[in-house]
Amino acid sequence: MVNKRVPDWLNSSLWSSPQPPPSPPPPSPPPLSAVAISDPPLLIPPPPAIARPSEPPPSSTSSSPYAHAPKGENRDPLTSSYANNTSVYCTDDDEDDGSPSYSAPSNGGDSGAAAPPPPAAQDVSRQAQILQELSRKVINMVELRKLASQGLPDGAGIRATVWKLLLGYLPTDRFLWPSELAKKRSQYKQFKEELLMNPSEITRRMEKSSLENHELEAGSPGFMSRSEISHGEHPLSLGKSSVWNQFFQETEIKEQIDRDVMRTHPDIHFFSGDSTFAKSNQEALKNILNLFAKLNPGIRYVQGMNELLAPLFYMFKNDPDEENAASAEADTFFCFVELMSGFRDNFVQQLDNSVVGIRATISRLSHLLKEHDEELWRHLEMTTKVNPQFYAFRWITLLLTQEFNFADSLFIWDTLLSDPDGPQETLLRVCCAMLVIVRKRLLAGDFTSNLKLLQNYPSTNISHILYVANKLRAH
Amino acid sequence: MAGRVDHEYDYLFKIVLIGDSGVGKSNILSRFTRNEFCLESKSTIGVEFATKTLQIEGKTVKAQIWDTAGQERYRAITSAYYRGAVGALLVYDITKKQTFDNVNRWLRELREHADSNIVIMMTGNKSDLNHLRAVADQDGQNLAEKEGLSFLETSALEALNVERAFQTILTEIYHIVSKKALAAQEAASAAALPGQGTTINVNDPSGNDKRGCCST
Repeated sequence: MVNKRVPDWLNSSLWSSPQPPPSPPPPSPPPLSAVAISDPPLLIPPPPAIARPSEPPPSSTSSSPYAHAPKGENRDPLTSSYANNTSVYCTDDDEDDGSPSYSAPSNGGDSGAAAPPPPAAQDVSRQAQILQELSRKVINMVELRKLASQGLPDGAGIRATVWKLLLGYLPTDRFLWPSELAKKRSQYKQFKEELLMNPSEITRRMEKSSLENHELEAGSPGFMSRSEISHGEHPLSLGKSSVWNQFFQETEIKEQIDRDVMRTHPDIHFFSGDSTFAKSNQEALKNILNLFAKLNPGIRYVQGMNELLAPLFYMFKNDPDEENAASAEADTFFCFVELMSGFRDNFVQQLDNSVVGIRATISRLSHLLKEHDEELWRHLEMTTKVNPQFYAFRWITLLLTQEFNFADSLFIWDTLLSDPDGPQETLLRVCCAMLVIVRKRLLAGDFTSNLKLLQNYPSTNISHILYVANKLRAH
Repeated sequence: MAGRVDHEYDYLFKIVLIGDSGVGKSNILSRFTRNEFCLESKSTIGVEFATKTLQIEGKTVKAQIWDTAGQERYRAITSAYYRGAVGALLVYDITKKQTFDNVNRWLRELREHADSNIVIMMTGNKSDLNHLRAVADQDGQNLAEKEGLSFLETSALEALNVERAFQTILTEIYHIVSKKALAAQEAASAAALPGQGTTINVNDPSGNDKRGCCST
């Protein structure tokens, strides 16, 4: 009975082998103009939000084999995060003492961590290809998406630049980059000045300008008369329009953001600890989240946004280009807005029960699983009653940032961001692949062991997950 | 074998951990189930789940504990997790008055979504930070008394009273369930008047038999 509903491809020996077989190269991409970058509005309107602008139809799906995860890169902060998700719940009384194999149903063995490092030559050539794409006058996004979907090297600022392109922050025309960046960065500076200022600073400026006016009118450098201070702007004023009132309302959000930024990647020195470096990075994250919350009153700040912000900021701040690194905060802000424009509905409580909210998204994952592996679906949802909400809520809202180590989640993001179908479709396929890959353990498990397995997903070869996810696309 | 199904307990009790964001729910859970504490643990998104088996009056009780996100936005989502819960640990932070003030909102939340007979234990966490205390122990006691809750101050950091809090709530649940089972037995043997038994309604399948609600 076991393999009854399992599609043939699932049992193929192909997909537990580290190097999927070569497949014919996809047809050459259409000319650049076919891939207009979607241009989501900068400021996300309050809900109900509209569907995101549709992307161009899927081009020939990339069938080239996924390369390895960029695991070997020895960036300090990344390596320090490696042991991250293996120790969780290990002493628990229900710890699965069973087989270490959680791979293809038919060939137990080796889906695990053991993909041999691919030849460096392949890396070099892919990096060269990407650099070549990036050096074009006008970037061919079809080509770039295809290359990026296989994972980006993060040396030489490549990943940072490509992500900015994939998110539509950088225009495809390289000639426009300097002016566009200058414009955005100065816009960000202005946002910060206008929106993140402390009310005492605002009132101080009000006083100052009123004092100046007074001086102008009276021509005397004397004291300002009391009546010149607007009573509405006194901290104890109860007026609704008082800058102080607004300030106090926002304090709760601000405190929440502070708490969560402090708790972002506590195991990575870049984000956490007492170094001035970490502190200034935390300040940047807080600024971005506070600004986003103010500019998007329909969403404000939702716990978990910090985790979506972290990879962007990390990549941009580590750009070897000093100017880019110095403007990482501004660039991250706009890219975060672009990213959220594709995923914001999952964060909006009012949309929870709508067709675009998180519940609907989770149901789509459930349908996808049913479609591809009905036996597993039945066992999970009917027999062991594991509501997909129990694990997929975090998988989906946080774009898998919590399920793998930091370096691996960056690799997954390469694929998510580069898919022309839009990130959410890819995300759901990746989630489905994660389930399918551990199906053997899930089918043997009960409610408790299955939920624990899915809430603490075992470390797995990411290329393998992405490969399986890509296979799901074709079926 | 892989994913063994475990029936080695007499009772399975589902407990939810609730309270404002940052009060230390996840650390209370990790202290209890794994004896671990992490000063800067990540914020909980959605729900996290752990179990621990312990002995209560000679019976093996498996506690299935659901740790939920504290932020308002997540309440609608997490309310689904209250289903079948026989106990709730409602946590506030003794150094943050606001988290204590919000206890009433959490109680309302429980009344709306959980079984009306759910056993509630309130805990004032972070008792190690006595120098930053903003809620007097007595205030906690008074509120607990008024609302009919059990109450303890805990410190997940110092492993103070965490075990005891769970032990207390699980024992209380156990008493209710076993009394109910006893009453049902007596009712059956004495053919007592129908409907005269206890009204305590913790009889969802997870509560009082050897078959876990979620086990195959």
